[in-house]
Amino acid sequence: MCYESSFWWTMFNVGGHIIPRAVSKNLDDLDSVQSILLHSDLEPEWLESVERNGELFYLELSEGEEEAVLPLNPGVNHVRFCENVAEVISENAKKNKNEPRFKKLAKMLRNKHISKKGSRLHGPIGPTSILKHQPSYRMGVLVHQQYKDICLYVNPNRLLDGEPFQKLCLLQRLIGIVHQSSKNSKRLERHNGPDIPPRRTSPEKLVVHGFIPDSQSLRCGQILIGDALVAVNDVEVNTENIERVLSCIPGPMQVKLTFETTVFDTQIPSPNINYVPQPPMNNMTKLIWGEEHGNHQQILQDMPHIVMYLTLRLDSDTSKEEFSFPSTSLVLNKKLVHVSYWKESEHLFLVSLPAERVSLLHLKNMTADLVRTLRFMYKSLDRAFCQAENVPRLDHFFSLFFQRTVRLSILRASTGRGAEFYDACSSHLIDNLPGVRWLSLPEDVKTEIDTILSDLEALDFAELSEDYYETRRLYMILGTCLFYKGYLLANHLPKEDLIDVALYCRHYYLLSLASERIGQLVIWREVFPGYHLVKDRSPSRDEYSPPEARYFLLIVGLKHFMLCTLLEAGGCTSKAVGNPGPDYIYVDQLKACLLQLEMLDTSIEERLHTSPNPCLSCADWFLPSARDKFQSVVNSVMMSKLQTPKKALISDHQTSLRTRRPSPTRSSGGSDNGSEGVGETVGFHSTPELTRKVGRRESQGSGGSEGSGGSGSVLKIGKKKYTLPNPFNLGSLRRSLSEREAEDVYKTVKLTSGSENTLFHYIYLETVQGVFISPTHREVEDLSGSIHPLLIQNFHRCCLSIRSVFHQTLVEERQSDSTCKDYAGLGPVKEHGVLFECSPENWTDQKKSPPKMSYWVIGRLFLQPQPQEFYVCFHDSVAEVAVELAFKLSFGMPL
Amino acid sequence: MEDTSVFLLCLTASSGVPLYCRSKGSNRQLTFSVIGSLNGVHMFANNQDVLLTSTRTENSRVVWRTFHDSINLIVMSCENTASDLSLNKLLENVFNAMVLVIGLDDLVNIKNVERLKKDLRACYKLIDGFLTESEKMADLTQCVDCIITHDVTILQECLDGFTQAAESDFGCLMAGGKVVTATEKWWRLASQDVMLLCWLVASLSSHSSRDYPVYLPQGSPTVPHRLLTFQLVSGVDVCILCGPSPSLQKVESELVERFWKPVVDPLKACLRVQLRSFPASIPLHRGIMGLLLVNRDLNKTLYTVQVHPLEDMHRTELKFTLDQRRAALRSFYTLALSHYLIPDNVDEKTIPCEEMFASGFSHHAHQCYTVSSSHKCYALKTELHLLFLVFKPEVPTFSMSTIANKTLQVFTKDFPF
Repeated sequence: MCYESSFWWTMFNVGGHIIPRAVSKNLDDLDSVQSILLHSDLEPEWLESVERNGELFYLELSEGEEEAVLPLNPGVNHVRFCENVAEVISENAKKNKNEPRFKKLAKMLRNKHISKKGSRLHGPIGPTSILKHQPSYRMGVLVHQQYKDICLYVNPNRLLDGEPFQKLCLLQRLIGIVHQSSKNSKRLERHNGPDIPPRRTSPEKLVVHGFIPDSQSLRCGQILIGDALVAVNDVEVNTENIERVLSCIPGPMQVKLTFETTVFDTQIPSPNINYVPQPPMNNMTKLIWGEEHGNHQQILQDMPHIVMYLTLRLDSDTSKEEFSFPSTSLVLNKKLVHVSYWKESEHLFLVSLPAERVSLLHLKNMTADLVRTLRFMYKSLDRAFCQAENVPRLDHFFSLFFQRTVRLSILRASTGRGAEFYDACSSHLIDNLPGVRWLSLPEDVKTEIDTILSDLEALDFAELSEDYYETRRLYMILGTCLFYKGYLLANHLPKEDLIDVALYCRHYYLLSLASERIGQLVIWREVFPGYHLVKDRSPSRDEYSPPEARYFLLIVGLKHFMLCTLLEAGGCTSKAVGNPGPDYIYVDQLKACLLQLEMLDTSIEERLHTSPNPCLSCADWFLPSARDKFQSVVNSVMMSKLQTPKKALISDHQTSLRTRRPSPTRSSGGSDNGSEGVGETVGFHSTPELTRKVGRRESQGSGGSEGSGGSGSVLKIGKKKYTLPNPFNLGSLRRSLSEREAEDVYKTVKLTSGSENTLFHYIYLETVQGVFISPTHREVEDLSGSIHPLLIQNFHRCCLSIRSVFHQTLVEERQSDSTCKDYAGLGPVKEHGVLFECSPENWTDQKKSPPKMSYWVIGRLFLQPQPQEFYVCFHDSVAEVAVELAFKLSFGMPL
Repeated sequence: MEDTSVFLLCLTASSGVPLYCRSKGSNRQLTFSVIGSLNGVHMFANNQDVLLTSTRTENSRVVWRTFHDSINLIVMSCENTASDLSLNKLLENVFNAMVLVIGLDDLVNIKNVERLKKDLRACYKLIDGFLTESEKMADLTQCVDCIITHDVTILQECLDGFTQAAESDFGCLMAGGKVVTATEKWWRLASQDVMLLCWLVASLSSHSSRDYPVYLPQGSPTVPHRLLTFQLVSGVDVCILCGPSPSLQKVESELVERFWKPVVDPLKACLRVQLRSFPASIPLHRGIMGLLLVNRDLNKTLYTVQVHPLEDMHRTELKFTLDQRRAALRSFYTLALSHYLIPDNVDEKTIPCEEMFASGFSHHAHQCYTVSSSHKCYALKTELHLLFLVFKPEVPTFSMSTIANKTLQVFTKDFPF
């Protein structure tokens, strides 16, 4: 047993500072290691969920939900009832208390499985890893010759009511199966009483004798008379406990019914092809969205939506690869519906959604992303759609896709606030950006993360690595990327791979999930990163023939962290044969890595909680209705700012920006600002809103730069200062300015205060690295306000449109190379801006017209040296100089 | 298919018989099979209770519209400046033109297709005018093109008197197909009707006088009115809309001379401002290349791409040709209108056949601009006006807002439009 304990330590007790390398000398025997792994009780919890093709999607939620272990596979849905409920039904199973109940059936099935095809299990499938555990497939299709799983949607809140149904038992009312007990029906009724102790006599099998008309079980058409219900959600059932088990179903959900069927080789009738495939109710969405999940289902049912994959039989040779997205609009049931197409050789992939949910611009982007993700997962659309075993997976994939679309559109339409609303608004745009949300970190933290990741990528696991046993390596790590709460912290992947991985994560809702609820996550699947596969095809160089490699994606998540790894098999490593499942050691090394990274949790959190940099303003501050909330001093500063643009507008029409900069109003506002900051900091600590605002004010005054000194130093002591240069960090701007022209502090403060204070939102997309930066959720939440959320919503919608104009430019640019082309229409647009006007909601004053606030949303496209996009949203009063500077500064963006 | 070709098909909705096919920028005719499949796909969808509205591919767009369950119009455009907005406007204009010439009754109850085909020939010229975009912008804005002259008060008086004497309320003075001035009642006609009448007069070959029956697509689609036009000087026409009386001869012999002879010089002056659409004395910023001003109350448009005609004349080669300016202004108008600036007269009840992207915004957009290497554009929306400007690329981006506001002031205060 001492092996076991030391091994346990190696695997899991990795909270320390270094990756522990077990030094147990006893582990020299390969067989012993394997046997430990195979025979110990230390099977990783995800092992049960590995699919036949080696794929794994194992998700465990954190907090109070940790009992709801949800291995997520479309074919294999497990739901365990939460602990307190499970207590009730476990009376019969007390002797097995240590063993999770759901394993019972698994064991039973596995035994059958082994006895039947034992020979195959023992024969090596691929190159046997020395440490590799051969995953035991327990849910294969073939295994189910005698058992079949049928998933039914049940809703205990909507039981069949009415006179004739009142007397029926739950089995009949909920599921619709009639079982006629050999004992008389009166007894059966008494079983319903909760106080009656379970009988000790051997319970009777629940054989299906009939169906309740119009019930779920009849409608599904897969349950046959004569089948015997043996388990509900892997809980063994019989006539004794069925009512209790069913009564434990807390709400509308999908349950898995396992039947023992007497019919050999059951042909489950395939659903009608003309019928738009109903997304299977699935546990993931329900778990993520809780009660609203049902609502989404309802909306989806009423909403025209479809995904199709068609084969074209083209006689002519028009089958060239098209990159643009043809689309069609049509009116169905008096609603405008968009259809977007993608053509791949002879096949046509099309997605359709109503215009009120998804605008055409958005739909086109979505289609592109869907195609990219499907290619990443299945190599080509053809493989994805034309292989029968992928059908349930795609069902799941698209059901997630549609539900997510509905959810986001609902959230977007609501005037909500908070992180989720921000997510929904920004998803409009950023879901389709060729980039990942990036969080800049202090240099030391960043270095530390990079070191840890590099260590992992070296695959030097000492005696746990294959080298130690002089075997060929199984995989090589191509790169890793690390997410924290959905933000990218570090990336060691090529850009295209990063985007592939990020898209995959987005489609499975992992990035937003990671922000709060992941307890543990293990994903393993073979992937087909376009970047490597395309490169492989080019036969230009003879000296290096690219490997016939296969690629695997391994994602391990632990709480807020998520580590994505792209593995290559077949290059310098041993060839992958068959469908290898996730390897213990790799998963555990990643886990160890994450545990190590968890130490950095605090510093990352600290970064997330720093005052926004660049400073952001809330739109509501610029409307006089917000007067009550803030000190009049603050307000007067704001008001003076508000008046500035009007004066400027009237006074200098055609003057250049030089005369405009030292505008007197602005300068007085700026200096007031600096001096008052100190006083306020001392004076008002009571109102959190105020202090936060003062803090912001302070940081904009001094910005944490050495140059300013003076007023800002009071608060600076408490804050940790980050030396990472940021394009928006106006501290560095000031420094460079003062170095360059040795201007006095006052003037530079003016400039910064002018631009900083009026910045509402921004997105900066860098296409070389494939990342973008925008304010963090926390920063946006802190601003709150009633108008600001609408502004953010508008900003993203507007950016979508701006981006589509830019896209046109990029296309034209690509087509017309260097030839001087006469542009028709708008020409190659490099900058595009829109001015919005808003006034406070529910303005009650009848006499006065509501005050107005105007703000710009401006996007800029930089083609040189590499395409970059920059979107900002700021108050109308911003001096043009500041805008120019902000744009220019983005070039100094360090990554 | 050529880069700039546009095809317009008209078919009967019930039987799919082609009524006519007009094209622009292509010598080839559409083959019958193409026409058949374009209509067939629409018909197929219709049988499935799906109304096909538009489709877009890499280099072309097709828009379908059915009018009164009787006439199908299909447009296929390969122009890269085409948009759903512009093509839908085109189809509306074309159908309205058909109503204008032959009346709604004959279009809704088709008794004899061959006869209808013959009748429709009368509006080919008008329809072709919409296909080949010209000096005018009204087809897109649906607000009639106008010009500003110095002597507008004198001409207005003459027109009012002339119209009254002709026992009508609706009179209009046009120069080169653009409205110089019109009676108050004329302005109260539906903007599409006003626009169509103007295009009709411009499309007809010049005659000294004419008596033309017209149906007003919005105002009276089934009862024809008489449109009397008289050429005052070459290029300048006056027209009145009237009932059975008075006769053409009577007006021509008795009224035209009496009212218009004294103002021949101001009439000739109207022709001089045509290039610019407004007098040279109106000062505008030198950076402005093109201007489009829409009065949203009176539904009239002021449009020019030669803001500084003299300057343009001196330079032998234009950096940014007039055609490019026109295309830029049209594209920018389309972008702004379809994405940002919400038109006020959105009918909630009608089923939208094109997406209203702008209505998804929670705050209203009032200004927008684009910057490209060849030119810059700026749009401004106020209570009463829509202003679109095309600037030279040298104009600093930040100054566009100021210039636009100042330009608008010129046209609201100094020279009210």
